[in-house]
Amino acid sequence: MLIDLADQVNMVEEWALAQGVPKIRYVHASRTLPGPEDVDNWIEPVFEALTQPLTEEEKGSGKWEPPQNRVLFEGTLDEGQTFYQQTKWIPSPVNAPLCVYTDGLPIIVPTEERVREMLTGTSHKPDELITYQSDGQSQRVERHIGIGEIREKGAAVPFQPSIWRRATVEQVAVNAVMAGCKSEHLPVVLAIAESGCGTSTTGNASQWVCISGPIAKEIGMNSGCGMLNPGSPAGMPIGRVYQLMAINLGGAVPGVTRMGSIGNPFNTGGTCFTENVDALPPGWKGMNEENGFSNEESVVMVMQGSDMLNNPHAPGVYRSLQKSGHGGIARNLDVKGVSGPHNFLEFYARAGLWAWREGSKTLILIPEMAQHLYEIGFKSKEEVYEWLWKRSFEPLGDYRLRGTNDFPTNGWMGIERTSGKHWKELDDDYMVSAGGDSPSDYCIIVGGGEEECSMILMGRRFGSNPIYSIDAWR
Amino acid sequence: MAEKDKVYKCLNPVAVQIPVDTSPLAPRLSSLNGKTIHFSITGEPDITIPLEKRMKADYPNVNWTVKKTYGINPLTLSDEEMKTTDGVVLGVCW
Repeated sequence: MLIDLADQVNMVEEWALAQGVPKIRYVHASRTLPGPEDVDNWIEPVFEALTQPLTEEEKGSGKWEPPQNRVLFEGTLDEGQTFYQQTKWIPSPVNAPLCVYTDGLPIIVPTEERVREMLTGTSHKPDELITYQSDGQSQRVERHIGIGEIREKGAAVPFQPSIWRRATVEQVAVNAVMAGCKSEHLPVVLAIAESGCGTSTTGNASQWVCISGPIAKEIGMNSGCGMLNPGSPAGMPIGRVYQLMAINLGGAVPGVTRMGSIGNPFNTGGTCFTENVDALPPGWKGMNEENGFSNEESVVMVMQGSDMLNNPHAPGVYRSLQKSGHGGIARNLDVKGVSGPHNFLEFYARAGLWAWREGSKTLILIPEMAQHLYEIGFKSKEEVYEWLWKRSFEPLGDYRLRGTNDFPTNGWMGIERTSGKHWKELDDDYMVSAGGDSPSDYCIIVGGGEEECSMILMGRRFGSNPIYSIDAWR
Repeated sequence: MAEKDKVYKCLNPVAVQIPVDTSPLAPRLSSLNGKTIHFSITGEPDITIPLEKRMKADYPNVNWTVKKTYGINPLTLSDEEMKTTDGVVLGVCW
């Protein structure tokens, strides 16, 4: 038997069905009651779950095979729009209607003709299963499915691992039509599909996709001013299709399989962007080259983020720092009156780059700020990653006070990487990284306009943010 | 036929669910005393610490085995351990 939390019962039942034990017995623990009092409430049902004889239903066996029709609807386009926007009531913890096939917005109705046109964007056959196009261990970051599993080339991609669905190229194309993609976007969409379109379960994770390589210009992505804003006829539908695939291929439903309490606004309409490869400082590699591909290869990084920090430096505080050594940042760095370039990352570190959340970071830097780092002496992105990671070290006594470290340390039962010792053996003044497991967990994307600012997102951890070849899906 | 009245076949965006063979629950135990019951802990020490204490106190004649992780994936039983385990309590699932 198992113990869950009451609001997660829908997810437990979904998982149990997918694992073949739909009648598993469970009791609900409380989110709020103190442990001993909580246990008093349901300890007897725990023992009963192990001993009470099975009901006839619990003795039953069979096969769960939901019907699957290739053609879902026949009718006019207006009728189709109504059909695809149908909703379903989701009980507690949602208690609201949610769209069955869409993200809540109208879609492009996926007629056979439109899907056929979409499929001209790839050489892969419509009935081909979405499979891994490369060995997950060949990249800078091992590709983990869930936490701890690595899949091999040719294996079918499981969508939203809790349910173990499989998808075809055609089904991906259907979602691409619905999102408003063009056929030239399909290789990108298929590469994104190769990720399995996870949404995390209990966290408020956001899903971002970042394109690197020639295809970004081919399809007209915006890597300049407003790169994360609406307006791009490529970026917007590609960002959106991730969420549609999560819903339709992965079965992501708030309150059932997608349990983030609040959700994340970056998932509304989706987020797809690209780097400005032409603006990279000398010696700085693009995201494709950083991850074992050539600069002529097109790839997509699928990012599971949650936090985002927007660092605007208006009105002119950053410019004053670098031009003449004046302003707040200059005072903070004690470089008053000294012209730059100055390492603004030190300001970020002092201001609390890891204050609200430990772990590695992904930095989106405008070209000017990336150039300043180069002029300061960072001749590669790796040198920046190394600096950031080392700068994150703090005494273990301080690290213990953070909000999520019980999980990566396995309840302090695990081994601390730099010492090789159990966390519990270390003194409070032992210096540990608050910024991730290694420098390679960091990422820099150069892009944006000219007003000085940066965005800081959660970085790579637990094998997240893997890279997929777009060219493999052309 | 007016364009707005034209009928189209519209395709299914939903992925294919791999058929799942559903199994009956394992037979229940006539009693717990003398049995080996495994407590598989996945986080939530505020719940699982008092739960472990209570289970051991209420049933001292049970052979309680415990594996503990703070993560979401329970530590699995080996093939040998499965042969000698009569029941499992898994919690807290999240």
